[in-house]
Amino acid sequence: MTKVITENDTQQDARGEKKVTHERPVVKEPDFQKIENSSNFRELMRKKKTFLISTTALFLGLYLLFNIVISYTNWLDAPFIGDITWVWVFAFSLFAMTWILVTVYMKKAEKFDAMAKATLKEFDYDEEETK
Amino acid sequence: MNATVISIFIFIVGITLVITYFAAKRTNSASDFYTAGGGLTGWQNGLAIAGDYLSAASFLGIAGAIALFGFDGFLFSIGYLVAYLVVLFIVAEPLRNLGKYTLADMINARFNAKKVRGAAALSSITIVIFYMIAQLVGAGALIQLLFGIDYIWAVLLVGIMMTIYVLFGGMTATSWVQIIKAVLLMVGTVILSFLVLKNFNFNILDMFTQMKTATPHGEAYLSPGVKYKIPLDTISLMLALVLGTAGLPHILMRFFTVKDAKTARSSVMWATWIVGIFYVMTIFLGFGAAAFVGSDLITSTNPAGNMAAPLLAQALGGDVLMSFISAVAFATILAVVAGLVLTGASAFAHDIYGQIIKKGQATERQQMLAARYASLGVSAFSILLAIFAQSLNVAFLVSLAFCIAASANLPVILYTIFWKRFNTTGAVSAILTGLISALVLVSLSPSVMNPVAGAAIFVGDPIFPLTNPALFSVPLGFIGGWVGTMLSKELDVKKYSEVNVRANTGGFRQL
Repeated sequence: MTKVITENDTQQDARGEKKVTHERPVVKEPDFQKIENSSNFRELMRKKKTFLISTTALFLGLYLLFNIVISYTNWLDAPFIGDITWVWVFAFSLFAMTWILVTVYMKKAEKFDAMAKATLKEFDYDEEETK
Repeated sequence: MNATVISIFIFIVGITLVITYFAAKRTNSASDFYTAGGGLTGWQNGLAIAGDYLSAASFLGIAGAIALFGFDGFLFSIGYLVAYLVVLFIVAEPLRNLGKYTLADMINARFNAKKVRGAAALSSITIVIFYMIAQLVGAGALIQLLFGIDYIWAVLLVGIMMTIYVLFGGMTATSWVQIIKAVLLMVGTVILSFLVLKNFNFNILDMFTQMKTATPHGEAYLSPGVKYKIPLDTISLMLALVLGTAGLPHILMRFFTVKDAKTARSSVMWATWIVGIFYVMTIFLGFGAAAFVGSDLITSTNPAGNMAAPLLAQALGGDVLMSFISAVAFATILAVVAGLVLTGASAFAHDIYGQIIKKGQATERQQMLAARYASLGVSAFSILLAIFAQSLNVAFLVSLAFCIAASANLPVILYTIFWKRFNTTGAVSAILTGLISALVLVSLSPSVMNPVAGAAIFVGDPIFPLTNPALFSVPLGFIGGWVGTMLSKELDVKKYSEVNVRANTGGFRQL
């Protein structure tokens, strides 16, 4: 779709001689709606949204739950081991959750990257070429 | 001030000036100035994000708060860390794919409208100024304590250093100051944590048992509720923290210093590990300070507890460690304020001057000049404000900055990426509703109006009950964006397709 055409800009100078002023790549505007409706892109967005919505609901939900529980109840004041109470365990679980979700996302994102690349390839987009 | 303090201090100032000298040679274009040419690697930018994010409020403030209030002191850290998931999942990659130098660039990739850019620049500038005043006022008070110099000289010292970094070395110098600071901060915190654990015989269970009796709070020290007693207040604050990070302009700007979305992603991963490990260690610092320094000495040195970490260093490692930790605190302050100056300057010089006034037609030379004048202006203005705010209680400005970021910036970012129907009117109204409601509500809140003289800026009964208005202002930001969108018929499906494809594939970038 995207073709980079190098045009020689020409203009006439005072003496009527045509001369080449400079070379300029002209990028034809791709049809984004066509790309958006391609099966590759739709599949990418479907997978991405499923992942993002479910994980975001999970971590925001747990985070809000934690804050509500510690604000309104004493449930987490019960001991876990020795004098360490559940509130510290929950707090650390939120830390662990953050690191785990970051790691999971890094793996997932590689798949998203591959799908994005496939979409771009389908529509003849080459990053190096347009630079 | 002893010889060790002075030599470590001069060493840090010297190193950052050498960096600035070399960075200045490489800062020849607006892109160099704002984004270090976009050439940072994932781990470099990750460290720089951590350096930008972990302010003196995090290092000295949280260690002190844990020392004085136990679990409640640690509570903020959870919000500060989980917030990185919002940054990673929702904001980092689309921002990198769509933007150039600023948040306004990203939103304007969809709406090429001056009013949207103006509103985005306004909210960025507001956040930067508030955050900066809190940092500078805190820095002035701290440096006064650490090095025994007057408040005004302390503020001027920090102010002049940050101006030099940004003015000459732009983003390259700022990034490296932040990277070095992050490394120093981690080294200092690891040393202190090790010494604390050694004093507890490396027995975590025993440490918790000892903490039950080590403070005046008794057993309550290890449970929530010592400091934050009003449930809705706590929840509102924690909401501001978790949603605000993804809208902080100085953090967002860091994503333009890497070459693509993949590197932006890996920089968040690095930042999340560093920031998280750091916050875990603040527990050891806080417990150690409470056990080995004692809350009496901590509060008599500084009522807010900010001197807990340096006092702990003194108690466990003597003068040398105390000097090193003080120097780390100084480096911490410098790295954060430099990032803020640069972000403020980008909103003035790139968004307002370059794009709105000059309509994007400014020459490279004009852009560079504007960036440098704006840096000078932002620095001078903040220094003046910080000097006048010396005796005011401005600590709440940090959480207010998070609240504005969550209320004014996050809704418009989300709508821009995900909502097809969203339009220009909606973008402007989302930003302005979030910004204005946060500002109005906080000015009626106990943070600004308090019946106890000296506790807030004005004496009086607060009209709005919550110290941080995020619980109301964030939904208002979203509603504002929705109502604004629905009131206007404007709908550009084609443009949304373009933004959707570009944000999610990283292709077709407009260079």
